[in-house]
Amino acid sequence: MSEGVMAVVKPEMKSYIWLQTADGSIQQVEEEVAMFCPMICREILQTGMGSSKNYAISLPQRVNPAILGLILDYCRFHQVPGRSNKERKTFDEKFIRMDTKKLCELTSAADSLQLKPLVDLTSRALARIIEGKTPEEIRETFHLPDDLTEEEKLEPLRNITDDPRIRLLNRLYARKRKELKEREKLKNVEVEEERVDERSVDDLLTFINGGSGESKGVKTNKNKKKNRRRKDHPKDSSTSVNGSHNKDLDALSSDYHDGDIINVESPSPSSSKLLDSTSVTFSPKLEFDDCDIDDDLDPAMKEELDREVEDFARRLNSDWPERMQEILSLGQERKLAPININGNGSAHRYTSLDRR
Amino acid sequence: MGDLLDRDLISNLPQSIIESILTRLPIRDAIRTSCLSTKWRYKWTTLTHLAFDEKCVTLSNDRTLVERSLIDFITRALFLHQGPVHKFQLSTSYLQSCPDIDQWILFLSRNDIKELVLELGEGEWFRVPSCLFYCKKLTRLELFRCELDPPPAFKGFLCLKSLNLHQVLVAPDAIESLISGCPLLESLALSYFDSLALNIRAPNLKYLCLEGEFKDICLENTPLLVAISVAMYVTDDIAEHFEQSSNCNFIKFLGGIPRLERLVGHIYFTKYLSIGNDQGILPITYNHLKIIELYQVSFEDMKEILVVLRLITNSPNLQELQISGSSNTLAAIEASDLDFWEKQCPSDCAFGRLKVVKMTDMSGVPHEMEFIKFLLKKSPVLETMSITPYAYVLDGRLNMLIELVSFKRASPEAEILFIQD
Repeated sequence: MSEGVMAVVKPEMKSYIWLQTADGSIQQVEEEVAMFCPMICREILQTGMGSSKNYAISLPQRVNPAILGLILDYCRFHQVPGRSNKERKTFDEKFIRMDTKKLCELTSAADSLQLKPLVDLTSRALARIIEGKTPEEIRETFHLPDDLTEEEKLEPLRNITDDPRIRLLNRLYARKRKELKEREKLKNVEVEEERVDERSVDDLLTFINGGSGESKGVKTNKNKKKNRRRKDHPKDSSTSVNGSHNKDLDALSSDYHDGDIINVESPSPSSSKLLDSTSVTFSPKLEFDDCDIDDDLDPAMKEELDREVEDFARRLNSDWPERMQEILSLGQERKLAPININGNGSAHRYTSLDRR
Repeated sequence: MGDLLDRDLISNLPQSIIESILTRLPIRDAIRTSCLSTKWRYKWTTLTHLAFDEKCVTLSNDRTLVERSLIDFITRALFLHQGPVHKFQLSTSYLQSCPDIDQWILFLSRNDIKELVLELGEGEWFRVPSCLFYCKKLTRLELFRCELDPPPAFKGFLCLKSLNLHQVLVAPDAIESLISGCPLLESLALSYFDSLALNIRAPNLKYLCLEGEFKDICLENTPLLVAISVAMYVTDDIAEHFEQSSNCNFIKFLGGIPRLERLVGHIYFTKYLSIGNDQGILPITYNHLKIIELYQVSFEDMKEILVVLRLITNSPNLQELQISGSSNTLAAIEASDLDFWEKQCPSDCAFGRLKVVKMTDMSGVPHEMEFIKFLLKKSPVLETMSITPYAYVLDGRLNMLIELVSFKRASPEAEILFIQD
C-alpha cells in the first residue's frame, strides 16, 4: 500500500520510515512498526512524508528520542498479529516498569501520538502508583508543589477515641486558622477578595484529606457552619453538650467578629486589648472544638496525624498563654519571618506561609 | 517555586489523561487528590465516571453509621461535581431503600447520565423514582434488588443498548413493553424473576441471558440474536404448565434466530425445548452456530435427546459441543430404541467442523454411550472427545471404558480423554 510513497526500494528490502523529533535528531524505523501509531500512519497517508531522511515526519514536541525508542519498542511488539493475549499482557507488565518521571513522559508522548492502547497502559500504571498513598507521598513521587494554603489544608479531625492529642491538634488548627484570617485581612484587599470566593467552595471541600469521608471541614464561614452542624449532630452523647454550646456560640460569634473588626480598623492595636478579647472568647471556643470531633479516624489519616502531632508536640513545650501571646504578637507585627519558638520544626509552619 | 514547577511531572498532562488516571482510582483516592496542590484542587470534579461502594467510607460494626457516612459522602461528592456524569455506579449492601438515592437519581437525570448501575442490599427493595424514566440518554441500565414501576406515559429508552435486571420487581407486561420500547437494545439479561411469561420483541437484540423461573418464553422478533444463555428453574406449577402446553417450544424459542453463534442452556432448558409437538424437519438452519453447551440433559428422556439431535444436525458449522448428563442410573438399565441416533439422523449427515466435544457427568446409560459412539462416527475432523464420569458413579466406569475403546472413529486425529477426579 505504501509503494507509491516509498522511493527506490528493492523488493526484498524492508521499507523504513524516517522520523524527526523536536530536538532535530532523525531516526529510521521499520514501516510496519511506525504505522502502528495512528498519528504517524495518518501523516504518511495524507502527506506522503517519511519516505526519506530529508522528508522525515516531524513528531510532536512531547516526544523526545529516548521516549520515542520506548514507544517504538512497544509498537514493534504489538504490531505482530499472531501474539496471544497472554503474551501481550506479559510484555505490557514488563514494559511498564520504569521510573515515574519516564512513565509520565511516556504517557504524554503516547497521547500526542494518539497511541491509545499505550495511553491506557500508562494511565493504569500511574493510577496504581497513586492508589493508597497519602498526599505527602504522592507529592513526593510526582514532585508536586505543596502550595495549598495552610487554611485550605487545615480542618478539624475526627476524634472518636477522645484522644487528647487530637483535641490539642484541633485547637492548634483553629488557632492557626484564626491567625491566617487575621493576616489576610491585613494584607491586600484584592487578595482577600479572591480568597473570599475560594472560601465558599472550601466550605464544601469537606471530606478531602482522607477523613472518614465526611470530616466536616470548616474554614472561614466557620462560625455559621459550625452552628448548622451543631444542630445536625447525630451523636446522642453530645447533644446535651451541643445544646448548651449553641447558645454559647451565638454569643461568641458576635464577640469574635467584633474582635476581628477591631483588628482590621486599627492595624496595630495594643496587644493587651486583643489579648483580653480573645482570652474571653478563646476558652469556650476550645470546648467547642472538642465537640466537633466525633466519628472514626481514618487509618491513613492516623499516620499523618501522628507525624503532625509530634511536630506540634515539639512546639508546645511552653505554656499555653505564653505561646498564645507570642503568636498574637506575631500577627500584630505582620512579620512572617520565621521565629524559633521552641527550636525544632516550628519554623517550618511560617516558611510555608511565606511561600504564598 | 519556579524550580518546583519545572519538576512537576504530572500536573501538566492533558486533562483527558488526568481523568483517565483518576477514573482508574477508587473514587475516594481520586477525590483526595484535591488536596495535593492548587492545580489538583478541582481536577477530580469533572470526572464523568463515578463508582461508589462501601470502600469510600471507613467501615465499622455500626451499620447505621456506615450507611449514614456513605450517604453523606456520595451526596457531597455529587454536590461538588461539575459537568456531566456519564456513568454512575453504586454497589453496596449497606444501602437499601432510602430517600437520598432518589435525589441522586434526580441529579443524574439532569446531568446526561448514560450508564447507571444500582446494586443495593437485601432488605427493602429500592423503588426506582419516576425521574429515572426521563433519562433520555440512557444507554445502559443495571438494577439489582429494585422495584420498577414505569409511568403510564413512558414509551421506552430510545438509546438503551444494555438492560440487566436482577431480582427486580416489575409487572410482566411492563417488562415486555420496556423491552419493545427500546429499539436499540442489544443486550438483555433478566435474572430471578418468578413465573415470567415473556414475549421478546427486540429487533436489534444480540445477547440474551435469562435465569429464573420462566413459564414461557417466546422470541417473537429477535432476528439478530447471536448468543443465548438460559438457566431455567422449574417449580411444580410450572412443570404442570409444561405438561399442558401444546405449542412447540423449540420453534417458539429457537425458530427465529438464524444468526445464532452460541447457545448455552442450563437445568431445565433442554426439557423446556422438548415440550410440544415435534414438527419433524426443522425449518431453520443455524449456519453460524459454533458453540453449543447444554447442561443437565437427561438421556433417558427420548424427547430431550431428540432436541439435542435436532440442534446438532441443523448446525453444519458446529465446532464445539459440551453436554452434561443428569440421568438416574438405576432407571437406565433398560433402554429402548438404541438405533435412535442412526434412524433419526439424515444419512449423509456429518459434523464437518466439529473439533471439541466434552461430555460431563456421564453415568454410562445406554443412550449416552450411543450418542458418543454416534459422534465419533460422524465427526471427521474431531480433535478431542473428553468424557468425565459422574462423580458418584464408580462401578460402571470400567464398562464405560470398555465400550469406548470399541467405538469406531471417523477422525484419525481424535483423542479420547477419560477424566477421573
